Amino acid sequence: MSQPTPPLELVESSDPIVTPRRVALVRPDLRPSVRREDERWVMTFPHLILRELILFMAVVIALSLIALIFDAPLEGIANPLETPNPSKAPWYFLGLQELLHYFPPVVAGVLIPGLVVVALAVIPYARINLSAGPLWSGDERKIRTWVGLVTAMLTILFAGFRCWPIVVPTLAVAGAMFAAYKGTEGGRFRRFLVGVTLPEWIMTWFIVVATLLTVIGTFFRGPGWSLVWPWNMHLPV
Amino acid sequence: MPEDRAKSRGLLSEEETRRDFLTRIGVGACVVTGVGAAFTLLDYMEPKVLFEPPTLFRAGNLNDFPEGTVRFNEEQKTYILGAAGGGVYALSAVCTHLGCITRYLSSEGVIACPCHGSRFDLEGNVVHGPAPHPLPWLEVKADASGNLLVDTGRTIPHGKVLKV
Amino acid sequence: MSGTALANLADWIRDSSVYRSIVRHGSADTNRNRSLVIFENLFLHVHPVKVREKTLRFTHTFWLGGITLVSSIILFATGILLMFYYHPSVPQAYIDMKELQFVVDNGVWLRNLHRWSAHLMVFGSFLHLIRVFYHRAYRPPRQFNWVIGVVLLLLTLLLSYTGYLLPWDQLAFWGVSVGTNMAKEAPLIGKPLRFLLLGGNIVSENALLRFYVLHCVVLPVAFILFLSVHIWRIRKDGGVQGPPEDPSAEKGAP
Repeated sequence: MSQPTPPLELVESSDPIVTPRRVALVRPDLRPSVRREDERWVMTFPHLILRELILFMAVVIALSLIALIFDAPLEGIANPLETPNPSKAPWYFLGLQELLHYFPPVVAGVLIPGLVVVALAVIPYARINLSAGPLWSGDERKIRTWVGLVTAMLTILFAGFRCWPIVVPTLAVAGAMFAAYKGTEGGRFRRFLVGVTLPEWIMTWFIVVATLLTVIGTFFRGPGWSLVWPWNMHLPV
Repeated sequence: MPEDRAKSRGLLSEEETRRDFLTRIGVGACVVTGVGAAFTLLDYMEPKVLFEPPTLFRAGNLNDFPEGTVRFNEEQKTYILGAAGGGVYALSAVCTHLGCITRYLSSEGVIACPCHGSRFDLEGNVVHGPAPHPLPWLEVKADASGNLLVDTGRTIPHGKVLKV
Repeated sequence: MSGTALANLADWIRDSSVYRSIVRHGSADTNRNRSLVIFENLFLHVHPVKVREKTLRFTHTFWLGGITLVSSIILFATGILLMFYYHPSVPQAYIDMKELQFVVDNGVWLRNLHRWSAHLMVFGSFLHLIRVFYHRAYRPPRQFNWVIGVVLLLLTLLLSYTGYLLPWDQLAFWGVSVGTNMAKEAPLIGKPLRFLLLGGNIVSENALLRFYVLHCVVLPVAFILFLSVHIWRIRKDGGVQGPPEDPSAEKGAP
């Protein structure tokens, strides 16, 4: 080629001969199948199929061994006239049951789970999740104010209900968010923290709170839903 | 023409064809069918006969309940109490928090729930714990000889003691 | 029999016209035949014939969706077997649990397997959700598949909850009592919903039967339907997405 290609210019026109109508605009979020790079492709059979088979066998064996060693519980026959003490829901609901200790049933049993489900479902449609850059990019003072304000409000709200399992993680996560703010010097971990986006911070907060509530409800609640050490769970006979 | 007559009566809009009209009717019929089917299904799922214990039961005689007595009927989940100053009233033993059965602790003079630590006084008022409402007062009736009839299906206003 | 004799037998079977009427492609030693293994099989052909090599790595998705799926398969198998010895009536349900424990061969092990697979499935679903979130694999065009995933999570929890009542022991009865009392608190629909769910005002044999039908028929069918769509959409979106591929392109302006 003797001539260099001229710089690309964006031209808008309704004349189909001057300007062709179809323009391919390749955006970063396009389907991977179109955005085909030089990737290695291998045959599904045997590579993927064998891995699936191995996974299947591994899980079956692991669960079978666990089922041989650990027994599922079976208490006495159901008695509508006698409530056991404590009476606990299955583990995945124990976080909710712990929440019941602090909030009325409408809030802990209906409102909060409902909000959680809705919040999860709308994640892919919320702009914040699609365009998130690291938390501390942009106007740092504004972000500092917002993070501080929201943390304070959440802390006051939940402390008002004396819900410490939510207050403590809120403060801890906020602390980590501010620790990341203090500049980019520091080790690999600090640099990793700096890159965390706001939606990731929020999800981390949610996971920590949910895990903490579930752990407390499972191991640290005894008769009358009182706080006990795990080894004191059941009243001595 | 029939279309012009229909238009002049305002039944057909200017642009709607016979096809559009029939489509509208067809879709409407499907919607009505769907809604009808949904309601029929819901009605089918609703049990019409319940084999649960009857709510009306006999609870002895007025004379069996001097002031300060607390008797617990396990099967009906009811406390029957002798009121201060004479008379009888009944409280539901089902905790208003999440439905566990409460227990009367005579040593402390309270009704306590084992599930989340709610406590009620002998008039059903919440004194401690997460229960949102007081224990409901249940209807108590007496016949001429003072035999008591309690109905767990009917609640009465708080404090309405049955006196002789 | 010696190795070659077995190999000869296998070849003889593979060359027979009966076998060739069932398996209609040759042995998988050419890429064409390997494609046909996938392409001509009803159960396998949700897969593409070729996959991107990097999606095969364990650290790509930690195989969490796969772990959840395998647990659900184990649950279906053990659940069906358990159904042969279980009557959903009161007090027979509890007696059947004792029978499974003391009389039926491998009854204890089967019930344990069912219970632990259930725990793994719930746990696996949560981990899978977390993994997909942190890999941002919900971004367009995968948004609705995420929503389907949330529905699947709810179905998993409901399946677990309805199954929880079936042993009809104290744990089951009161766990469900508390849960349905919570449902009653929902505004407007709470009380009627609880009444329909329990088939009455209290947790009784009506409730057991309704939970049994939900657990064994309604919810599994719904689960399979949503799962099929979920997997189908993964295929249509180009396969599983692991860590975001171009960090500088993923983060920053849309």
